[in-house]
Amino acid sequence: MDLNNLDSLQFFYPEIVLTGVILFLILVDLVVVDKRWVGYFAFAGCLLSLWATLRLYVAPEGWLFHRMIVLDNFSLFFKVVSLVAALSVMWISFSSREVRSVHQGEYYTILLTSALGMFFMASSTNLLMAYLSLELVSLTSYILTGFLPRNRRSSEAALKYLIYGGVASGTMIYGMSWVFGMTGSLDYARINEVLAPGGMNHLTLFIAFLFILAGFGYKIVFVPFHMWSPDVYQGAPTPITAFLSVGSNAAGVAILIRFFFPAVSRLGDEGNWLFLTGVEWPHFLLYVSMVTMTVGNLCALNQQNVKRLLAYSGIAHAGYILMGLVVLNNEGLKAMLLYIIVYLIMNLGAFLVVVIVANATGREDIEGYRGLARRGAAIPAVCMAIFLFSLTGLPPLAGFVGKFFLFAAAIREEFYYLAVVAIINSVISLYYYARVVKTMFLDEPSPADQQVLMTPKDSALLGVLSSLTVVFGLYWGPLVHYTNESLRFFMK
Amino acid sequence: MENLILLRFIPLIPLFGAGLNIFFGSRWGRKNAGLLACAAVGLSFLLSLWVIAALPEAGSLKDTVFIWIESEPFRADFSFRADALTVVMLLVVTGVGLLIHIYSLGYMGHDEGMIRYFAYLNLFVFFMLVLVMADNLLLLFVGWEGVGLCSYLLIGFWHHDHTNTIAGNKAFVVNRIGDFGFLLGILLLFWAMGRHGVWTLDLWELKASAHVLSPEQALLITLLLFFGATGKSAQIPLYVWLPDAMQGPTPVSALIHAATMVTAGVYMTARLYFLFSMAPVTLAVIATVGALTAFFAATIALAQNDIKRVLAYSTVSQLGYMFLAVGVGAFGAAIFHLFTHAFFKACLFLGAGSVIHSLEGEQDIRNMGGLRSYLPTTYWTYLIAALAISGAPLTAGFFSKDLILWQAFAGTRGSMWLWFLAWLTAGLTAFYMFRQFFLVFHGPCRVKESARAHIHESPRVMTMPLVLLAFGAVFAGWVGAPEFLWGSRWDRWLEPVFGGAVEPAHGEPFQELFLMGLTLAVAAVGFVLAYLGYGRAGRALESLRPAPGLSLLANKYYVDEIYDFVFVRPLTRSAGWLAGSFDPKFIDAIVNGVADRVRGSSLFWRRLQSGNVQHYLFGFLAGTLLILAYYLSQ
Repeated sequence: MDLNNLDSLQFFYPEIVLTGVILFLILVDLVVVDKRWVGYFAFAGCLLSLWATLRLYVAPEGWLFHRMIVLDNFSLFFKVVSLVAALSVMWISFSSREVRSVHQGEYYTILLTSALGMFFMASSTNLLMAYLSLELVSLTSYILTGFLPRNRRSSEAALKYLIYGGVASGTMIYGMSWVFGMTGSLDYARINEVLAPGGMNHLTLFIAFLFILAGFGYKIVFVPFHMWSPDVYQGAPTPITAFLSVGSNAAGVAILIRFFFPAVSRLGDEGNWLFLTGVEWPHFLLYVSMVTMTVGNLCALNQQNVKRLLAYSGIAHAGYILMGLVVLNNEGLKAMLLYIIVYLIMNLGAFLVVVIVANATGREDIEGYRGLARRGAAIPAVCMAIFLFSLTGLPPLAGFVGKFFLFAAAIREEFYYLAVVAIINSVISLYYYARVVKTMFLDEPSPADQQVLMTPKDSALLGVLSSLTVVFGLYWGPLVHYTNESLRFFMK
Repeated sequence: MENLILLRFIPLIPLFGAGLNIFFGSRWGRKNAGLLACAAVGLSFLLSLWVIAALPEAGSLKDTVFIWIESEPFRADFSFRADALTVVMLLVVTGVGLLIHIYSLGYMGHDEGMIRYFAYLNLFVFFMLVLVMADNLLLLFVGWEGVGLCSYLLIGFWHHDHTNTIAGNKAFVVNRIGDFGFLLGILLLFWAMGRHGVWTLDLWELKASAHVLSPEQALLITLLLFFGATGKSAQIPLYVWLPDAMQGPTPVSALIHAATMVTAGVYMTARLYFLFSMAPVTLAVIATVGALTAFFAATIALAQNDIKRVLAYSTVSQLGYMFLAVGVGAFGAAIFHLFTHAFFKACLFLGAGSVIHSLEGEQDIRNMGGLRSYLPTTYWTYLIAALAISGAPLTAGFFSKDLILWQAFAGTRGSMWLWFLAWLTAGLTAFYMFRQFFLVFHGPCRVKESARAHIHESPRVMTMPLVLLAFGAVFAGWVGAPEFLWGSRWDRWLEPVFGGAVEPAHGEPFQELFLMGLTLAVAAVGFVLAYLGYGRAGRALESLRPAPGLSLLANKYYVDEIYDFVFVRPLTRSAGWLAGSFDPKFIDAIVNGVADRVRGSSLFWRRLQSGNVQHYLFGFLAGTLLILAYYLSQ
């Protein structure tokens, strides 16, 4: 299926809905006095878009808009992930004290725009589209990061993010221009055709792909393109940090898989991916993956700020996710997608607790969690423990299942070193996650520490996320099934 | 095989009952919590009846709740399955379970922890049902561990008393030893089948393809599995936990430690009969262990003075009978005895509970006596159940015990010696049961003066289950009468399960009749001796003085002391050394050293994160170049 602009519209409802809602929100923002309504409308719009997305599962696969974007289960998977991330983040924002202090109308509008950008990141099959979508997400992220007015950290983070992102995406589009120069096309399938016979200069190809990888890597946050993230995660409003850590990370993985798998490789007979000659990049990804998880975990060890700690843990998790790429087969990709779902749930949960605590006490440092369980917040403390242990990868929680599939994929392809390094890293990570748990449960609260109370909204989401973390740890059949289905690329 | 969604609700309803009582029990109070628990088991019982009616001829029902583990080519579902064997267990677990739940309403009515009690009890029923309905070994293992957990929780139910906690721990630890063997057996089975290309733990698939195993594999696997059964079903060498488990509330002893959980091992071996049939050596071991356990436990019971301990050793002894039946290949007979035993032993325990209840906690039979006139209903039901366990003609125990003795004698794997031990045990059983019976209900009343005024028959809610169970103790056996009476419907019922595995015992009817006569005779001798020793008025008090030869029995052959000396003390001593010296000086030093290094290195990495965006961009560039250099160096 290769549709022209007009025919494509019927398979484009999720994006149309989102765009319409964004425009509508701008109008609403001018009219209503209580700006919270903007948030509620945005939430409803997201739900509508989610509904439209789910309806597309019965639609045929194919190219839309003259092969600019593609409609397949893989892109639908990431659209669902982006929407779920956006929905949860909006839900968290409703009761967040930080968000209440800002201009909420624009906040929700830009958040939705960012989600829209992620849609395109997951579905573009054209270098130009990929670049535009990545920029759309980046630009909205810069704004959201600096959204706290008169907050030095927030503004500083936004500026750093902007500069770093500018360099990264500049590098990326430079690499893209090389690819265009070599192949004469921006279309993934066409690039594949031209590169297939081989004969291109290998070094040139490598440099071009490395530059492109730099752009993707900065979105996924892996070493050496990771240095922006701790400052940005710490400075941004916490709901936005949550959004960046799950949404933007997942979209980066999407664009990476979409580009490197269908564009420069072909599916072998046994579910393994064979790379076109001259594109042997996965070798170094092995090391990138190991270094990424190690750096992330080591840096997290001595952090005093929970958001910063979670930022480093996010880097480590990006390293785990990369393991799935290294093995070069569908098993690995499946494990990556599975891990993205699991990570989405548990990381959102952890950030939700951070928001709950910050709402009550205004504190983000670990000291602020002293004796949390005895300060009226036994339930958030228990849930936080569940999320953190799940992030560590302890059974019977979802994080264990996610890691199990990743490690199993690596071991099955005999990447034993990788698996061993990953397991050692999991052990290291237990230290800093457990430190938070210890602070919450074993340390005595000082009399000055405030009580921590939740709003019903927060407790509802907390209940959903924590029970999902437990349920998926015991019963992961549907997850495996769903990720299997989501690996149906539309290639030719 | 047919699908029946209904099946899942049989275990799930008690689970919901437990959950509701745990979370909301305090809100609706003790009485309602108890009623809710009874209603949950009652519903399961009704559904079980439905399942019996719906069970297809020679087939089974299946209900897959969800795919539990999927890892090509292996797959284990969370699914339940019911066939003729399962429904027998369903009847026992939910039927007897329901009566015991109702009884508990009265027995535990004044207890502070009644809500917790009923939640545990419901939870136990859930796990037990999972155990008997599981369609694969993994799920069976879940139930197996779950009932062990509930047993532990309920033995130590009155945890303020330290001895109860210790008894709970003992049960748990001893069970864990057996469970370890069981788990090894499952894993070995999984691995061995996999070696032959069959990756499955599904019981029905195993049955179809177990023949691929080599005899050696089958031997090792079944020995390990049987070791697991000796733990759960209290056989030599792991029976020591069961007598101590009597520290729990008496209805718990009736339900878990007599009627249901302890029979799980028998159920498991019967369920896997196709494996055990492949290993004649294992069967011989099982038969020997069963017969020896039956005999030794019965001798210990001769000299016990705690009303519940006598019954506990009697349970161990009766379980020995069941394993004897398994060992001679008479799986149907084993399940038959399991079925009848559930009725009369539950009745005995509940009767003992009624006595204890009326005497406000007194358990020593030396301090009882003459209770017949105070507790008429308890007296008559206890008498019936005691007759049944002794094998009086036409009671349930008569048929099932006779069947086992006949199979032990005339079955293809049977032998004279096995029969002889079982025969002796029958006599001992009659003796210790009626020794206890006469000491409790006849003779002069030795109850302390202060307590005598309060002796009263238990309320209706407790006597009604007694009457029903006594009814079962008489008639439950009639479905399995020998051929020369009206014939057994039991074998025909279990025929689809065990198929041709059981070769019929070959012998003349007169032979069977003759053996039956011998058994009755020895039981009668036991009864008469008990009567002479304890039944006649005036004799009672002198005979309570311990005879010198009996101290060995009264001290249970010193098995607990031997275990303590051989296993427990060396273990605790070495554990003390490991924890006191080895761990802090050696292990901790290594661990802390490594941890310090790791933490130290993190400082280096943090320094790179300077906060300067110029440095970040330098990192970006340096990293890219480094990757390029790596590529060029290849």
